[in-house]
Amino acid sequence: MLTTEKLTYWYTSADQSLFKDVDLEFSAGHSYAIVGQSGSGKTTMVSLLAGLDKPRGGKIKFNGADIAGIGLSNYRKNDVAIVFQAYNLFTYMSALENLMSAMAITESKHKGDKAFAKQMLAKLGLSEEQMTKNVQKLSGGQQQRVAIARTMVCDAPLVVADEPTGNLDEENTDAVINLFQEIARDLGKCVIIVTHEPDVANRCDAVIRLAHKQFTWEKTIAEN
Amino acid sequence: MNFVKRAWLNLRFKKGRTALLILVTSAIMLFVLAGLLIKSAATTATQQAKDSVGATLTLSANREAAFKKMRSSTSTTSGKPTMPKLTTSPVKLSTAKKIAALSGVSSYSATVSTSANAKGFDAIETSSSSSGFGGKMPGGSTSSGDITVSGVTSTASNSNFSNDTYTITSGRGLKASDADTKNVVIETNLAKSNSLKVGSTIKLKATTGSKSTYTLKVVGIYKAKSSATASMGPGQSDPANTVFTGTTFANTLKGSKYAGTADSVTFNVSTPSKVASVKAQAKKLINTSKYSINSDDASYQMVKASMKSVTGFANKIVWLVVIAGTIILALIVILMIRERRYEIGVLLSLGESRMKIIAQFFVELLVVLVIGVGVAGVGGKFVGDKLAQQIVSTQTTTTSTTNQMGGMPGGSGNAQGGAPSGQMGNRANAMATQKQKQTKLSTQVTPQAILLLIAVGLVIIFIAILVGAGGILRLQPKKVLIG
Ligand SMILES: Nc1ncnc2c1ncn2[C@@H]1O[C@H](COP(=O)(O)OP(=O)(O)OP(=O)(O)O)[C@@H](O)[C@H]1O
Ligand SMILES: [Mg+2]
Repeated sequence: MLTTEKLTYWYTSADQSLFKDVDLEFSAGHSYAIVGQSGSGKTTMVSLLAGLDKPRGGKIKFNGADIAGIGLSNYRKNDVAIVFQAYNLFTYMSALENLMSAMAITESKHKGDKAFAKQMLAKLGLSEEQMTKNVQKLSGGQQQRVAIARTMVCDAPLVVADEPTGNLDEENTDAVINLFQEIARDLGKCVIIVTHEPDVANRCDAVIRLAHKQFTWEKTIAEN
Repeated sequence: MNFVKRAWLNLRFKKGRTALLILVTSAIMLFVLAGLLIKSAATTATQQAKDSVGATLTLSANREAAFKKMRSSTSTTSGKPTMPKLTTSPVKLSTAKKIAALSGVSSYSATVSTSANAKGFDAIETSSSSSGFGGKMPGGSTSSGDITVSGVTSTASNSNFSNDTYTITSGRGLKASDADTKNVVIETNLAKSNSLKVGSTIKLKATTGSKSTYTLKVVGIYKAKSSATASMGPGQSDPANTVFTGTTFANTLKGSKYAGTADSVTFNVSTPSKVASVKAQAKKLINTSKYSINSDDASYQMVKASMKSVTGFANKIVWLVVIAGTIILALIVILMIRERRYEIGVLLSLGESRMKIIAQFFVELLVVLVIGVGVAGVGGKFVGDKLAQQIVSTQTTTTSTTNQMGGMPGGSGNAQGGAPSGQMGNRANAMATQKQKQTKLSTQVTPQAILLLIAVGLVIIFIAILVGAGGILRLQPKKVLIG
């Protein structure tokens, strides 16, 4: 579903690259964890995979097409859903309005379907009251679940998350990981999660470590 | 149209910021509207002034050309010591009638000035006039008599009467039907001192030609305003000695060659703005080497000029407020966009197009604008009237000073046309009434004004968004979301 070809990135100069000539492949229906030391370049990698930035070298292909050719904005709109540590919700809306807006923007097939959005939020453990009050009045775990619900109501087959459990307690972390696994297995999406937490990484179908400017598979799909 | 929904949610959620935006926009719109209202009020006032202020055309002998001719004839006829002769042709009434028939000319009035000697009654003596002879010049030695005869088409059309300098106190004024009669209207002091009443007869002796004596019937008595009498200079006969007759009789006194003529003919032009075109048409009907036609729309021009400065001032207000408003709103939009970087980042990460993000901000400002226009519509008349009052009071002081200076050349231009004395005083009177008219500059909030206001507001927020949009267009979602 998603492949990188000789993917290279640096911030200041080419000889200080974070990673170079990376070839990776991600397929639908599976969850992937990207692990590595702080400052190694994990966030940078997922921002490239999410189409938030352009690579310095190489290509990212979505279903065989260079995402630069698709257009990053189109790619973000149709093909990828993003979850970040900071939830990234519209602060002036309720959880429900957040989902409705995201569905409208991404032109999801569920666009305008309030019942569907509510159903998803309910599934993620939000009460009717919590769905309709401003998102800033929800707890961090609840907000992160709203952000995850957003990836579920949108049609994008690819979900990219950067430390989605970073601000959550153990219980919430567990709930969130379960959701991601559901998204991969039941919805058939490709889920890529950057994480610090070994527990989270272990729950994923595959684990990739970024170290010394190289990505190495710690666990592959085949090993499952 | 999802961005509209977002705009609405945002305005509703950020109530404090929305209220502040509405406050600022309302203030800007209020001043723009006030400016627009003053401008349109000034335009209306100018239009009304055009209708109320009369403009006239005066047809008279072309003295300038006559002088030129006289001078050139003396220089070319060398040797012969002939006296240079100034020959001016009196205006033919038949020509006047043709001009009067032009569209735009509402009425006309001919004036024939001459003099005669009182016979069987006494002219009024003034302290300034030569004493001893009772104001009478020795008969025959001069062509001027002690009574000034003003032949008019009608007294009503004579400027002295139309400006209320002279008013009929008993009997009636002269009408067009009096043209060929020997009816006369005399001044009240002249009547009193000679015990003359309406129905009495007076005798006038011509000073030229056959020097015949004519009997006239007094049909009306008029009173001259004291100011007009007081303004008379020394050497001039008392205005009380002016009698009004039909033009035919005045021409008879002047001599047979003056039959069917007038010194000058004044045409009233119904629409002052058309004076120039009527003048051009009239010029085609006359021999310009013999006659000249002068327009007098000084009062109209004065009102127009003063209203133009009010309009100019209103224009300046509008532009100033629009520019200041645009800058203020643009700054607010820029700040708003900075404050909302995060939201923009989320939108971009969801793949929302930058144009739709800009559209969302535009809609938000549009809603604010509509409310602002509503507030301005309510308060605009109040502010407009107050501002208009302020402007007009300053304008009036400036115009009244320029009036005194501008009055002089206009007056001398009139003397050429042979207008009766007292015209200068009348002009000043007319100006005084103009000033009073100006002070009543009333503004009115019309649907058109509101539409125009919305248009101006749209331009302002459009420019503000355009300036602020740079931030949106350059914003990198990665920098916002991962930072
Ligand atoms: N905008 C930037 N300009 C320059 N250098 C940057 C920029 N963003 C990140 N870096 C640097 O690039 C390196 C990788 O950063 P990145 O955020 O990808 O690391 P990370 O693996 O996500 O770390 P963490 O686990 O702490 O989140 C770091 O050394 C960081 O200082
Ligand atoms: Mg990171």
